Amino acid sequence: MPDTGYLPKEKVKDFIRELAKDAIVHVPCLEGETVVFRPFSEDRELCLERPANTPPKSIIYPQSETLFSFEHKKDPEDHQKMSVELKVDIDAPGTVIFGARPCDARGFVIYDRVFIDTDTPDPYYKKRRENTLVVTLSCAAPFPGCFCVGVGGSPAGKEGTDAMLTEIAGGYIVEPVTEKGKAILNKPMVEDGSTRLKDAQQAQQKAHEAVKNPFAGGMPNISPELFDADPFWEQALSKCVSCGACTYLCPTCYCFNITDEQVYGKGERIRSWDACMFFHFTLEASTHNPRPTKFQRFKNRVGHKFVYYPEKYEGAIACCGCGRCIRYCPVSVDISEIVNDLGGGGKKEQQPAGSAKND
Amino acid sequence: MSTEKVKEAIAKVLPDVETVICWQGGFDAIHATPCFVSSPEQIDKVIWSPLCAQNLASYLPSMKKKVGIVVKGCDSRTIVQYMQEGLIDREKVVIIGIPCTGVVSVKKILKEIGHEAVLDASFDGSGSITVRTPKGEKTLAIADVCPDKCRTCQYPTPLVYDHLAGDPITSDKPKESVYQDIREFDAKTLEERKAYWEKELDRCIRCYACRNACPMCVCQDSCIAETREPHWISQKLSLQEKFMFHMIHALHLAGRCVECGECDRVCPMDIPVSKMKKKINAEMKELFNYETGVNPDDKPPMFTFNVDEVKIKEHKL
Amino acid sequence: MTDIKNPYLPELATVLRVIEETPNIKSFQVLFNDPEKMKGFTFQPGQVGQLSVFGAGESTFVINSPPTRMEYLQFSVMKAGEVTAAIHNLYPGDQVGIRAPLGNWFPYEEMKGRNILFIGGGIGLAPLRTLILFMLDNRSDYKDITIIYGSRTPPDLCYKDELKEWEERSDVNLILTVDNEYPGWTKRTGFVPTVLKEVAPKPDDTVAITCGPPIMIKFVLEGLAQLKFRDEDIITTLEKRMKCGIGLCGRCNIGSKYVCKDGPVFSLAQLKEMPDDV
Repeated sequence: MPDTGYLPKEKVKDFIRELAKDAIVHVPCLEGETVVFRPFSEDRELCLERPANTPPKSIIYPQSETLFSFEHKKDPEDHQKMSVELKVDIDAPGTVIFGARPCDARGFVIYDRVFIDTDTPDPYYKKRRENTLVVTLSCAAPFPGCFCVGVGGSPAGKEGTDAMLTEIAGGYIVEPVTEKGKAILNKPMVEDGSTRLKDAQQAQQKAHEAVKNPFAGGMPNISPELFDADPFWEQALSKCVSCGACTYLCPTCYCFNITDEQVYGKGERIRSWDACMFFHFTLEASTHNPRPTKFQRFKNRVGHKFVYYPEKYEGAIACCGCGRCIRYCPVSVDISEIVNDLGGGGKKEQQPAGSAKND
Repeated sequence: MSTEKVKEAIAKVLPDVETVICWQGGFDAIHATPCFVSSPEQIDKVIWSPLCAQNLASYLPSMKKKVGIVVKGCDSRTIVQYMQEGLIDREKVVIIGIPCTGVVSVKKILKEIGHEAVLDASFDGSGSITVRTPKGEKTLAIADVCPDKCRTCQYPTPLVYDHLAGDPITSDKPKESVYQDIREFDAKTLEERKAYWEKELDRCIRCYACRNACPMCVCQDSCIAETREPHWISQKLSLQEKFMFHMIHALHLAGRCVECGECDRVCPMDIPVSKMKKKINAEMKELFNYETGVNPDDKPPMFTFNVDEVKIKEHKL
Repeated sequence: MTDIKNPYLPELATVLRVIEETPNIKSFQVLFNDPEKMKGFTFQPGQVGQLSVFGAGESTFVINSPPTRMEYLQFSVMKAGEVTAAIHNLYPGDQVGIRAPLGNWFPYEEMKGRNILFIGGGIGLAPLRTLILFMLDNRSDYKDITIIYGSRTPPDLCYKDELKEWEERSDVNLILTVDNEYPGWTKRTGFVPTVLKEVAPKPDDTVAITCGPPIMIKFVLEGLAQLKFRDEDIITTLEKRMKCGIGLCGRCNIGSKYVCKDGPVFSLAQLKEMPDDV
């Protein structure tokens, strides 16, 4: 078996069909102008031209999932007495994520530290992660707002990936990264790609150079004084509308809520994504709120990614530079600019925004 | 309609106010971003161009001190509606109005340029924008990439202002065009409309960008989407929950939505949520002959109660 | 898949007894349904548990019965939101869920041989109670024990029977206060931080442990600093909105520390190293 495969473009769908024989294959699909991951079916319109609006994180870490179900039951002997029955059913079928971007895959590595490499691993995440194969598609060019190279990633970065596809003339080079990923080279649609690996490597190099690096002079050294200065955050975040777009679209945001839903004595305890940008996130029953303003909440968000997470995990940054938070922010808040400003120097020039020639 | 005129107006207003809310360039050449100018040296970064799509008026109710604000015609309807509902103190707002011939929709530009990263963009002054990407240059007519609201704009000149940066202009769009899209949508069968909304709302990720960017969403931190008391919506990710949220959002805006289109503009999943609100506004127009945000002395119909509503038959019983 | 413990799955337990402490605080004594679980259960004073009422949700409370008295586990709950309201509706025999023990504990080993000063307000006596009872059960390990405890009014004082007991003990110095004059109240009046100043305990070889409403804690910490207590000798236990209890869900963090996992017990020295969004 060769170390490198080649998948002709016209066989991509067959390849997905082959994978779908023994797994649910999530693929990026075009719906109107939006790209979303959906379980593959023949009527889906595959879109490999650009990253999905939402990262594939929900496939391993669903936006809402049942932790367990419960049922209050009357004791048949003594109707005054109630008992409770709890049931856990972790739904983790064999899954393939096809067409994730390297930044998306890197997000899973950031989650692995939190959910798996801890003294209380999360069985839901762990089981799904173990049962999922991540087939990544490297990026040929940057997309609006993305800056993966600034946070140690790359348009062809392999962290979190099992196998990587890179587009070359006529098809894709398939590079296995893990043992799990190697298995896909056995699929009949995959040809030997060894001789053309260098084409892929060239494309990867070109893409890497094209990505803007907001931290070209190295990762900014966040100044503790600025970080703790309220005026800094007030100035930087006056425009923030405190919605959850940045967190829900983020491949590395994982904060969650746990709530009970019950109808007539039967119900479920649900774990659902939550956003640190929401007022409710830290609101206590006493009405005390430790982070009542959007400034404090955003400070926590930046802190979590660029200060607190690195403190906990040997300097690793909890941001993969996918750019979605910048691209889709209602008011174009740019987290890379904020981190640069926190570093004191490195103040980015504002783009002229095309207005100059309008007068 | 020039950046210089806007800057001049800001310089004039600035000594009287805490800050002036306006636009500056964003992270790339096709994005503008709101900015808060509080000293003369910051005026330099201010821009005015068709990129300035955000409705800045949304910030007004949260402002504690006297502020200046730059508004387009459509944005001014928000201020008028705030005045009707008593949500702002007009004395504490200095309005710089801009007569506007239309802005651009970033989503539509991105569609045209294949969602590539933007290297540069420029306007030629005659109604088109040229965008440069690694794959080349593309010139687009603003009329082709403007938000839908611009196509039927009735109020290109702000309805309320203290300073006008430019000469007033009048609309050349027929009045009937405003709800044409709603009439067309209404012509579909119930099943078709249901299928349409099921498909669209299925993409909702409940990020509430539509709610938080909405100038008229006033519940904000007490929104039923998150409260447990009342516990109307669960955190399950079902279509039913999403539908419930969007219907409540729309109903809370009955006769209040100023049709600024922010909800559509900010939705990261491209859900046409404004359509629901526009539909209700069309009904409000029909029932009460009321149009939101055009006359500060109007009273929103849902803020009043008349026993004899001319067009509501039940009341004639 | 490797079979790992499910950290979100509560252990079922039954309410044994409900005690009305104050008009809005009740204590709940509970027993795990599984006798083996009860027998094998160990925890440290200051550790917390997540108490579930299935259908309403779960909330974090300190286990305020000490590990030296394992006939039951006790939680004291002030009625404030949805979950606490549901807990207040519980009667003996009702089923609850418990995830415990969670978090860290009072560094009682390091307190051995020293004077101990407890400063509590309202429901804030709950975590102190665990440690007080634990120390009384190991009385010879510690030197002087002083307790300053206050509430708004006399009916708002928790654990009234125990307060009486402690008052009668010669090896405990209990100082009670209520905010204002109250019919029949003959002891001190005034806020806890003010009483602390009046009592002016000496910082020599003394550890101060405080818990109460955020505003009380703020002024108590200032008061202790004025009394020249060292930051390392001031211990507090924090309360936050918590969900997971295992340092994942992201809402109880102060900087990189999660109150549910790295806390709830912190020294003032540690708190000073952390951001101030307490």
